[in-house]
Amino acid sequence: MNARINKSTNSTTRAGRTRHSLIGQLTRLSGLLLTAAALASCATGRIDPTDPVGENAKQIDGIMRMSGYLATAVGIFVAVAVVLVIVKFRERPGDDPDELPEQIHGNKKAELTWTLIPVVMLVFLAVVTIPGVFDLSSKGDGPTIKVEGQQWWWQFSYDVDQDGTDDIVTANEIVIPVGEEVNLEIQSNDVIHSFWIPQLNGKKDAVPGRVHHWRISSPVPGIFYGECTEFCGLSHANMQMRAVVLTDEDYNNWVQEQLVSATTPTASAAKRGYDLFGRHCVSCHVVNGLYESAAGGNANLTSGYAPNLTHLMTRTSFAGALFELYKDDGSVNVADLKEWIRNAPGQKPARPENRQGMISFAETLSDSELDDLVTYLMTLGGPPPLMPS
Amino acid sequence: MAITEERPEILELESGDTSFSTGAFARPTNASGWRAWFFTVDHKKIGIMYGAVAMFWFLWGGIEALLIRAQLFTPNGTVLTAEQYNQIFTMHGTTMVFLVIMPLAAAFANYIVPLQIGARDVAFPRMNALGLWLFVFGGIFLNLSWFLGGGPDGGWFAYAPNTGVTFSPGAGMDFYALGLQIAGIASLVGAINLIVTVLNMRAPGMTMLRMPVFTWMILVVQFLLLFALPVITVALILLSFDRTFDANFFNVAMGADPLLWQHLFWIFGHPEVYILILPSFGIVSETLPVFSRKPLFGYSVIVISGAAIGFMGWGVWAHHMFVSGLGPVGVAAFSATTMFIAVPTGVKILNWIATMWGGNLRFTVPMMFSISLVSMFTIGGLSGVMHSVAPADTQQTDTYFIVAHFHYVLFGGALMGLFAGMYYWWPKAFGYRLSESLGKWHFWILLVGFNMTFGPMHIVGLQGMARRHSRYGPEDGFDFWNAVVSIGAFVILIGMIVFAVNIVRSWLGYKAGTVPQEPADPWDARTLEWAIPSPTPEHNFDYVPVVTDIDDFWHKKYQPDENGKLRKVADGNEIAQKGDQHPHLPSPSYWPIVLAAGLPLIALGLIYNLWVSGIGLVLLLGAMFGWSLEPATDPNAGHDDHGDDHGPDANTPDGDEGGDAEVAEEAPVG
Repeated sequence: MNARINKSTNSTTRAGRTRHSLIGQLTRLSGLLLTAAALASCATGRIDPTDPVGENAKQIDGIMRMSGYLATAVGIFVAVAVVLVIVKFRERPGDDPDELPEQIHGNKKAELTWTLIPVVMLVFLAVVTIPGVFDLSSKGDGPTIKVEGQQWWWQFSYDVDQDGTDDIVTANEIVIPVGEEVNLEIQSNDVIHSFWIPQLNGKKDAVPGRVHHWRISSPVPGIFYGECTEFCGLSHANMQMRAVVLTDEDYNNWVQEQLVSATTPTASAAKRGYDLFGRHCVSCHVVNGLYESAAGGNANLTSGYAPNLTHLMTRTSFAGALFELYKDDGSVNVADLKEWIRNAPGQKPARPENRQGMISFAETLSDSELDDLVTYLMTLGGPPPLMPS
Repeated sequence: MAITEERPEILELESGDTSFSTGAFARPTNASGWRAWFFTVDHKKIGIMYGAVAMFWFLWGGIEALLIRAQLFTPNGTVLTAEQYNQIFTMHGTTMVFLVIMPLAAAFANYIVPLQIGARDVAFPRMNALGLWLFVFGGIFLNLSWFLGGGPDGGWFAYAPNTGVTFSPGAGMDFYALGLQIAGIASLVGAINLIVTVLNMRAPGMTMLRMPVFTWMILVVQFLLLFALPVITVALILLSFDRTFDANFFNVAMGADPLLWQHLFWIFGHPEVYILILPSFGIVSETLPVFSRKPLFGYSVIVISGAAIGFMGWGVWAHHMFVSGLGPVGVAAFSATTMFIAVPTGVKILNWIATMWGGNLRFTVPMMFSISLVSMFTIGGLSGVMHSVAPADTQQTDTYFIVAHFHYVLFGGALMGLFAGMYYWWPKAFGYRLSESLGKWHFWILLVGFNMTFGPMHIVGLQGMARRHSRYGPEDGFDFWNAVVSIGAFVILIGMIVFAVNIVRSWLGYKAGTVPQEPADPWDARTLEWAIPSPTPEHNFDYVPVVTDIDDFWHKKYQPDENGKLRKVADGNEIAQKGDQHPHLPSPSYWPIVLAAGLPLIALGLIYNLWVSGIGLVLLLGAMFGWSLEPATDPNAGHDDHGDDHGPDANTPDGDEGGDAEVAEEAPVG
């Protein structure tokens, strides 16, 4: 809440500065802006860097506010000077046009002063900034998670027994234990993406061919939202992610659950869906223990990877965290899931003909086949340890 | 200081023939109508064409901006598809940077710089025309993509590997890479030309530290262009080779590092920011003293800080890459250098305020635009300092906070300055003023629209709204401010419509006689371009002025009386040159436009069919031959009285004892 109050103060300052430089004429607009600022402060969204939760985000927020206050102070100084000049030194009707104001060509002392004062301010800013840069790039002591960006979703891999092979491969939602500085190894399987969960930390690019180290943590359990922020092609706007922060107990249970492979369903509809999955989905998707042919990557996608669906139902979202997997009442969002399988490119811009994104099954699968597939998917684990509030 | 050159007598055809015997083709005569524009080598006509074409692209880039804002007016907008949105934001940025602000600055540089240094033209007039036509064809070529399968979709920054054929299979990025090469050659040609012009063709007595600040800033910008453009040229060649010939410069599977592109792009891209803003800094350094009726406060500090920005601008590029994985040492170093580039910039702001302080401020339209540059750019500069704090930038980068920042710099700074320049120099270029009252409407509507559009972007940016997203969700809480922003964008449109109405009405009024003809010196200004009639005569100067001071023209008008107080001793309009001499001028030429037309054909061929490249190459080489072999001059061009009295002494002003005027210079041949 504190953050929100401060934010509206910031907006007020900006509106105020505008009014100064426009003298009076804009008072009405400023009024509008002020009202609007108040309204907007009540309506902040679920991605809000101004309301930091994680230690890293809080540290950044502190540095940013300080630089913001400094900038605002200088801005007000300049605005006041400009207004003073405009009011005080404007030509007045009675002025003799041939009478010149005093012709001052400069003043070395004054110029030296207003060169040195900014230097001092910026040295101060640098002294605060540079240790922050090194602080934020150091490693934490929590578990290490591999983060892989690809068009247009995130994959998270956990090497639980630290034997060099990934034991858990999941998508869209990175699950971390509360209070631990989790180390991320950020990579990309195609173009450049950027990993950003603003309430936990700043962003870090995922660059193909490189591994970037970054960390996130949260002192409280909860779900935190993020987005890809480096332009990554057609569906850049639809490449979201969530961080699910669990208590130690929930986290350990989650890990144990994820380590279990899937088994063949027995109910008839799910069994039909399972067979359909084997025919239509396995060239890209992996279900541990059943369909692993695409586990080493596949040629149908430029990135080589589609989300691992072994524990699909333990997630809260699908399709690049774009759609909710569960409705508010806790039941599965069958309609969206079915529509997604039927015609994915219609739900989220993609270019499957160029191996970018999931193909449409509108021509391939009948309505009842889609129902069967959804029924099968609903057997894949779940429910999630934490639901969005 | 100026080079006075004895023109060899051979250039005058004794036979009276219309063409020179070694010439393969006759040069066009100084015809009227469209020929007078297409084949001109006159820096003023070229400047006006740069401006007119840039304003056309401004309209186009503005329509692209309005489409973006229409899409983002509401959550989950459906005005554009994601594909269209990506193409349009790519081309909005590319258009505004390469086809609007750079050429608008080039328009002023071409028109004003020779006048401010007392020259009759630039050093290489035909090269000047070549630059113009390359820019024109480069812009057309870039936008041809809309009709040939869709625009570029990789962002104006075109980060690899997203711009490779694998991820961007359409021809759009080819048009981007090749179109920018063509426009880049235009800027490079212009840069060399203006550097040579400024260094060699200044009027006698105009030392470097007596040069008007606008000319100084243009000179700094030309050096930035000269060194920055080769870098983007290399980057674009690598991209083109990857796309056209399957090279592997950005192919990660073959061991490439995509950060190569980012480094190359921003080593060009950051100096580019100063290329865009410094001309406007130069413009307001002219207008603020004139309308404050005081000299510029700290001329040398403003000049030196401008040059310092030019130097320091090379050491800050990686601040665009704080989250790209540079490592903490690199980030810390570039964070610090970025902070300190704020020092020379801040000095300029305070010196401008000090220029106005104690003055006698006349709130003409150019003055209002100039003051809005000082205040609006300051906001953009200060948010820039906030980005230099690298940890904070990890939250800000790629959000609308950055979009707000650089629009305050490029719209609130560069464009406001360019509008100031338009209103200020309009009478010099066209002989009449733009309407002051419509101009004030233009100014206030634009200023309100500008702040309404880009002010709230700070807020949604801090709230986490990411750039380059074709949509946002209702759950994000960005709706309100985005609606305000979109309405603001349409307010800007209204402001620009007022500007268009102003141009048309003032022109019609001038033709009808209701808008008066302006004298040489309508603003009681300070620099040499006001010492000649309005509009500028074709040959600029009857005689080359001798300069003894900064703001030499002003000192001819105002001199200290016995008490040491400055008194007006002469009226600028009376002491101005009459524009009634007829010295030799460079002849028009067919070849610059023909040569320029070859390049887009070569580029088209690289995308579609190499035979087309062949045609372009023939055109290019043919034009080079024609250029080399055409007669040095058409004896009938440029002066209607081609008598025998074209010697130097015929050009000295009437009644002058020769103390003030030096030997008249022939304008260069090109």
